[in-house]
Amino acid sequence: MRKETKEYNFDWNMWTILENASKTADGFRKEYETLLNYIPNYRNVLDAFVKHGEPGILFLKIIAKYSNDCVRAHIEGRKTAGVTFCFATPVLYAFNIQPVTLEPWSVLGTVVLKRGTSEFLDYCSELGFTETSCSSQRGSLGAYLCDLATKLDFVVYDSPGICDTNANSFAFAASYLDIPFYQLNYPSTLTDERAKEYHHADFKGLISFLEEQTGRKLDMEKLREIMKENKRQDELTCELLDLQRLKPSPMPPIYELMLYGGRFMMNGTKEYTQLLESMVAHTRKKAEAGKAGTTSGNERARGLFCYIDHYTTDGRLWDFLDKRDISHMGSILFNFWQKDSLYAAGKEDEGYNLEDESLEAIIDSLADQMSRMPMVKQIRGPYDAPGMWLDDTLGAINIMKPDFVVYMGTMGCRNTWGMVKPFVRDLEKHGIPTLYIYADSFDDRVQSWEAVADKLEEFLKIRKIIT
Amino acid sequence: MMNEWKEIANTMGNTYLRKWKESGRAAVGYPCTYVPDEVIYAADILPYRLRGTGTTSSSIGDTYFGPVICSFPKCVLQLAGEGRFNFLDGTIIVPGCDSMRRLDECWRKAADDYKGILPGFFHYFGVPHKVTDYSLMWFYEETLKLKEKLEKHFGVTITDKALKGAISVYNESRKLLMQLDKLRVKDEPVINGEDALSIILASTAIPRDEFNKMLRKTLSQLETKKETIKGKKRLMLVGSINDDPEFMKVIEDCGAVIVTDTMCFGSRSYSDLTEEEGDPLFALAKRYLNHAYCPRMFGYYKPRLKNIMDRAKEAKVDGIILQNIRFCDLHGSENGIFERDLEKEGIPCMRMEREYGPLTESGRVKMRIDAFLERIS
Ligand code: SF4
Ligand code: SF4
Repeated sequence: MRKETKEYNFDWNMWTILENASKTADGFRKEYETLLNYIPNYRNVLDAFVKHGEPGILFLKIIAKYSNDCVRAHIEGRKTAGVTFCFATPVLYAFNIQPVTLEPWSVLGTVVLKRGTSEFLDYCSELGFTETSCSSQRGSLGAYLCDLATKLDFVVYDSPGICDTNANSFAFAASYLDIPFYQLNYPSTLTDERAKEYHHADFKGLISFLEEQTGRKLDMEKLREIMKENKRQDELTCELLDLQRLKPSPMPPIYELMLYGGRFMMNGTKEYTQLLESMVAHTRKKAEAGKAGTTSGNERARGLFCYIDHYTTDGRLWDFLDKRDISHMGSILFNFWQKDSLYAAGKEDEGYNLEDESLEAIIDSLADQMSRMPMVKQIRGPYDAPGMWLDDTLGAINIMKPDFVVYMGTMGCRNTWGMVKPFVRDLEKHGIPTLYIYADSFDDRVQSWEAVADKLEEFLKIRKIIT
Repeated sequence: MMNEWKEIANTMGNTYLRKWKESGRAAVGYPCTYVPDEVIYAADILPYRLRGTGTTSSSIGDTYFGPVICSFPKCVLQLAGEGRFNFLDGTIIVPGCDSMRRLDECWRKAADDYKGILPGFFHYFGVPHKVTDYSLMWFYEETLKLKEKLEKHFGVTITDKALKGAISVYNESRKLLMQLDKLRVKDEPVINGEDALSIILASTAIPRDEFNKMLRKTLSQLETKKETIKGKKRLMLVGSINDDPEFMKVIEDCGAVIVTDTMCFGSRSYSDLTEEEGDPLFALAKRYLNHAYCPRMFGYYKPRLKNIMDRAKEAKVDGIILQNIRFCDLHGSENGIFERDLEKEGIPCMRMEREYGPLTESGRVKMRIDAFLERIS
């Protein structure tokens, strides 16, 4: 690792960048434009947020606050929990625990820093963590393992049974750092009574673990407050989804990132509700004007990303889509399965409902929410089983009417690479042009963004999606 | 006698299997130590552990699996696609790891293109990743489901008496294998790692009662064997799956003897007995969920480390080989922490990444082992 990298803590360094980024739009336009010249490494992505006005700026403020909260957790007497992105945060906020969500940290690092997170990725491998494991955790985990970030007090993860690679990262972190851990472990089925009972029992174990770690009982008052926000956030996301499917889609491509990014970091907080409200209001305005969410207001094609997006340096995927007037019709990451969501229509047993009556009901409904998180729901069982990845993708295709589907993920993703070839073949059989890309959404060294963009371009041309 | 073991270990269709099938009885494949084979055996069906032995190409494996997948399930799929598992009347799939669980879809999808490769009985057997009262209950129900499905498909009844009988045969087998262990860890062992592995492999490919008979005979021969192994470095093997006696031979030919292991084609498959009292199905669920943890059981690093240390101590090893198959993150990553903690205890370790399947890289393996032996001499 270079000496300069060790100069500052990774999270502190990121916080200063993000804090400043969130203030760039506070001044005059001219000031802002001059400032962009000083941040060549992430001017593109910063501008992508700022040009969307209030929602984009609110998102910048959210990530600044989140990183500040992570950095200051111990100073403020809060415990830190290393978690994975598919872990629903409300239960942690109810305990006043700061979720340190590795994947968003990896995204932030790879988007903003000149060299991405390559040094942290490699540092993990130096310690023995396999270089073939998923880069989405490894990108930031390296900083936590080499003591260049706020210490993790414990680890909680909900990927065993879903994704071993992900679970393995957290198991490795807990063993390496010798800190307590709790795993939520999922069976391969979702809707049967056995699975439900298992989810609930396992979640109660989590509550006991958190009580033990914090030395306090679950604060009912606080929990109710968080549930209120959580519910409102579910309503707003359903509304957004409803708007997103219009033709042209009035939702700007980058909103997708804001939706799930905000959710992974701050689900259950007032700030995230505010962001969603702003996103809904702006999307509605575009819809009323009959305009697409792209900068030009036009829509030439609609793309569904059946797995995750691509984040490496300066997050150029969104710019790529925007410049070509392509609407982003969603990815697995923004797939939250509230019972009222469009996705769940006719499949209500696959969805969840947030309850707020008794403590028991709240806890069970939080367990249900957790068990329907992106990935947790879709890749727990065979991809072609009811309610799993293929079903959900076909459902999304039916609702969102994309012109094409793209799979990209991480090269460490044993789980999806284990079956993506037949999966893509099945989608093609359903008549939807589908591309899978050998690249790593978090590590440019596997395949450069330029090469990925070329592949996308070629695919769009050959399949006559954009001529 | 060793030749017979080797023949069983190195060929897919051994004589016992052939005879079994000729007598009109069924065989069911299973991929992992988390499947209670006693349930299959109690149905008078031969449990046959899936392996990728004898693969010469990966064209089929690579067609359905993606590029970054462990070569073990790929080799299994390759053989399945070539029809070489067509003697099986059933297969059980287990979420051992991500790559292994995707064998389910890949095998089924390959069967669309290669007709007749999907056995009539194709069952997904769920295994929790942790041990709690509710996960044990869940696993018990899975075991019950497996039993009922076998009964229905094969038109048999698996009685408690048959289960108890199977448990006793398998427990005996385990005790005999533990006896074999004792001969391996002697100051002057009477059997090397290559031969011991051949015996262990046979336990997964022939009827257990026959296996017990054979092993009893071999043990009595070994116990009186005069010729012992002297002057070799004593090594332990840890990590990803290995069912290749040739791989052991490459290591041992460098001047070492593998005296112990924590492998799944190894001590992990026999080091825990099943309780013989009470509900036999529950006893099996308890034994299989709790048996010497593989890293697919998340959060059990410390018991695994202890298991390695205890075995290393008992076998007085000079060093440990921590190996993993490429793309096996579960073993690979844990090996990194094992190395740190074992070296701290003064046990020399060597980490090695390799491929499963035909030994295409024996030169590299040999070179690494030579260097390691030099380091610990
Ligand atoms: S991208 Fe794949 S390997 Fe990474 S966390 Fe998700 S499922 Fe697991
Ligand atoms: S060696 Fe590792 S990756 Fe391969 S099948 Fe076994 S646990 Fe899975």
